[in-house]
Amino acid sequence: MSAAITASVALIEPEPEVARRPSFKSRALHNRTFMAGAVMTTTIVALVLLAPVIGRYSPVGQDLLHTLSGPSALHWLGTDELGRDTWSRLLYGGRTDLQVGVLAVVFPFCFGVFIGTVCGYLGGRLDSIVMRVVDVVLAFPFYVLIIALVFFVGVGTHGIYIAFALTDWVVYARMTRSGTMVARTLDWVAAAEGGGLSRARVLWRHILPNTVTQAIVYSMSDIVIVILAVVTLGYLGLGIQPPAPDWGSMITDGQNFLQSDQWMAIMPGLAVVFTGISLSLLGDGLADILRPE
Amino acid sequence: MADALIEVENLCVSFAAEHGRLLRAVDDVTFQVAEGEVVGLVGESGCGKTTIAKCIAGRVAPSAGTVRFEGRQLGLKRATKDRRAIQMVFQDPYSSLNPRMTIRQVLSELLRVHRLVARADLEERCVQLMALVGLPSDALDGLPSQFSGGQRQRIAIARALAVEPRVIIADEPVSALDVSVQTTILRLFEDLRSRLGLTVLFISHNLAVVRHLSDRVAVMYLGRIVEEGDRESVFRDPRHPYTRALLASAPRLHQIELVRPTVKGEPPSPIDIPTGCSFHPRCPRATEVCTSDTPRLERVRTSAVHFAACHFRDETSPEAVQGP
Amino acid sequence: MTPILEVEGLVVEMTRHGVAFRAVDDASFSLERGGALAIVGESGCGKSLTLRAIMGLLPSGGRVASGRVVVDGVTLDTAAGGRGRGHSQRQRMSIVFQDALSALNPVATVGNQIAEAPRHVLGFGRSASRQRALELLRLVGIPDPERRYRAYPHELSGGTRQRVMIAIALSSDPAILLCDEPTTALDVTIQTQILALLAELRAERGLSLVLVTHDLGVVSQVAERLAVMYTGRLVETGPTGAVLATPRHPYTAGLLAAAPNVDAPEYEPLAIPGSLPDPLRLPSGCTFHPRCRFATPECATTDVRLEPVGPDHEAACLHSDELATTRAAGNRG
Repeated sequence: MSAAITASVALIEPEPEVARRPSFKSRALHNRTFMAGAVMTTTIVALVLLAPVIGRYSPVGQDLLHTLSGPSALHWLGTDELGRDTWSRLLYGGRTDLQVGVLAVVFPFCFGVFIGTVCGYLGGRLDSIVMRVVDVVLAFPFYVLIIALVFFVGVGTHGIYIAFALTDWVVYARMTRSGTMVARTLDWVAAAEGGGLSRARVLWRHILPNTVTQAIVYSMSDIVIVILAVVTLGYLGLGIQPPAPDWGSMITDGQNFLQSDQWMAIMPGLAVVFTGISLSLLGDGLADILRPE
Repeated sequence: MADALIEVENLCVSFAAEHGRLLRAVDDVTFQVAEGEVVGLVGESGCGKTTIAKCIAGRVAPSAGTVRFEGRQLGLKRATKDRRAIQMVFQDPYSSLNPRMTIRQVLSELLRVHRLVARADLEERCVQLMALVGLPSDALDGLPSQFSGGQRQRIAIARALAVEPRVIIADEPVSALDVSVQTTILRLFEDLRSRLGLTVLFISHNLAVVRHLSDRVAVMYLGRIVEEGDRESVFRDPRHPYTRALLASAPRLHQIELVRPTVKGEPPSPIDIPTGCSFHPRCPRATEVCTSDTPRLERVRTSAVHFAACHFRDETSPEAVQGP
Repeated sequence: MTPILEVEGLVVEMTRHGVAFRAVDDASFSLERGGALAIVGESGCGKSLTLRAIMGLLPSGGRVASGRVVVDGVTLDTAAGGRGRGHSQRQRMSIVFQDALSALNPVATVGNQIAEAPRHVLGFGRSASRQRALELLRLVGIPDPERRYRAYPHELSGGTRQRVMIAIALSSDPAILLCDEPTTALDVTIQTQILALLAELRAERGLSLVLVTHDLGVVSQVAERLAVMYTGRLVETGPTGAVLATPRHPYTAGLLAAAPNVDAPEYEPLAIPGSLPDPLRLPSGCTFHPRCRFATPECATTDVRLEPVGPDHEAACLHSDELATTRAAGNRG
């Protein structure tokens, strides 16, 4: 047959040219949601990366002569009760929070997607066992679990990473599992398997690229969830430990001064909101762009 | 007669249904497909034709009976070369291609994994496969979403051919296409068959298409073959009332009078197959014996190549020998 | 007698990826009282949208840009969707869709779905609407109506579901039944039954029928008038027998020649060369000209319209006479 394929000429009238699909870059640039999200996120990242340059003071340096001062030329956003510059704390706090937010999501994403895909494809005992574990984790209220784990493992960033690693993967697992279960029934998977491709290859090169996009989009909001959790933990004193700056503890500290010096709590709050919106837009935009039509 | 390439013997496929009952999708089916032949498998929805296809292609395990290829029994797990030898083309052009892989990726992956051509010749072979199905080489860069239904079917056929199969099982490959596009795809099948010596099991509910393309025909109803034989014998002188009903109901361009339905009601659920001849509740010819005695697929007296599962198989059809 | 349905110059605009295009371009046809018209064409030709525009059920992104729809002498407000229309306007027409499983409410019993219109539109009381629903179930040939009343759509077979759809369509006592590929999803033996049912309903209740299908084989049994659509335009209209026997538009002839003949296996179907154009980039002049063997340069520049070519038979082709004389033996049933 190989010879016959090589030797044959076009058997039927070739069809005219096929419509071109705009490239990823072009689609990305034209999607308003994505661009808005990308611009906002880039701004935030740029700002926090440039913290040493644009933050004019050390985030932990106290200036007890100028405590609780409002926005001024010296301190753009004022100072807190220990005279620490709010603007610098905001920037450095952003560094910490964003870093923790992204890193805490990496393991759950990778592990969750992997285990979800395998379970969805193979089914059987493995699937039952893993899904029961997922059910157990989901049965606990999220924050109760996080707090308990952080208590157990120890406060600070490593505690947060471990707590999220143990609990956050379940959402990814569920999501990719259902996507895989659906894909399994489709003809193009049947064709890939029928073509003699190994199961591992079908899973990795065929099914996964189709199911992972949903997880990628979700991971954007997950980063926000982590940041909020860190903020909440910080509020409870279980988050990033002082004197390292982070938005959570800034809000906690600022809470005592809401009547008089609101900017202390509002600024980090706005920072969280802004970050949340930008990641959300980025996620939505990605969902649009990554769709194959 | 050429050697049987595919032999299906007493094949049964049943699935567990609710309340512990059994859904018999395929019930004791036996037939062969010879090398180079096109066998048309005809029947309406639920008759089991797709399940048989999946069994032969190794996607569904038989509950009983065997499927043989070149004399070797094949099951769900089979050698790679056997898996390559039998390829399927599916009905729905919109779900038969991976939406995220370009055509080039799909084809070259198959060629590479099975080491069918040297690395350096990969691109050339992809272009040849495209030409074989009448698509330009720049189609290789495209994603399925950029193609029409007919083009996608051509791509699906190219994919099936990429692994150099011996048998193609086409499961309603043109049912979802417009009539002119259907014709192009049917021509493609005909040409491929003569050029590449392909053997084809063509599954369809469209009698006109089956009559045009097949050498032999098997008609299925509720999991059983009710009539089988040489194409012209079956079409000119159908010996099973169900085949006659199918023929009578086939849409015809210049059919001015309304076709009177000769068959009552609808097919029962495959969980609840009637006793005796499974067609008897709907059959215009049914008598007492049909309710208790299941007719076997047996040769009709007047032909060596025509079989029917009906107690009245030797009665000629009232509209027999219709010509143009 | 005024026709019961008249469509004049209907233009439906659809928007895809932000670009608007005419999915139905200047369609005009009429339906006599008690008559049946079939609109035939390939996928994407605009035939389903035509029905939906008449019913006021265009999908989002679609709108009636111009044209008139007159039902029994009353001009419909085509801009308003189904809800915006007057009660009596809605009542005159009903639509039957292709896929009963997705057109029916999966969580309501079929009986309740049939009883809905009598109850909430016609104002019947509860038991009166139930009685009406049972009557309709019987009318459409569903045995054991009391039991089937309580069934859910997924519990029924395809043919029965389609009968339920027809019953729902009849429940508001319409004068016109619009059918969008009513038998395409059904097995061929069931198709015969449904077509027989539609014919019976026409004969007994004087229903007028508009049938949209891509299957020319179904058309001749059901409709005495035929309209062929291509890229949103009507290219030929006329009595079914005349159009099928002597098509006067090359596209119609092409469709006829492309179908395999179940009674004549030696007939080699001919594909229409080329492929359907992108609706956003239609050829100029006669949109069929790039695929037509009779095409001449003026076909690309002239805005071709439907012209009479025979008794009650119109075709939009500059070469319809040439086609009539050179037509090969072609496909005979």
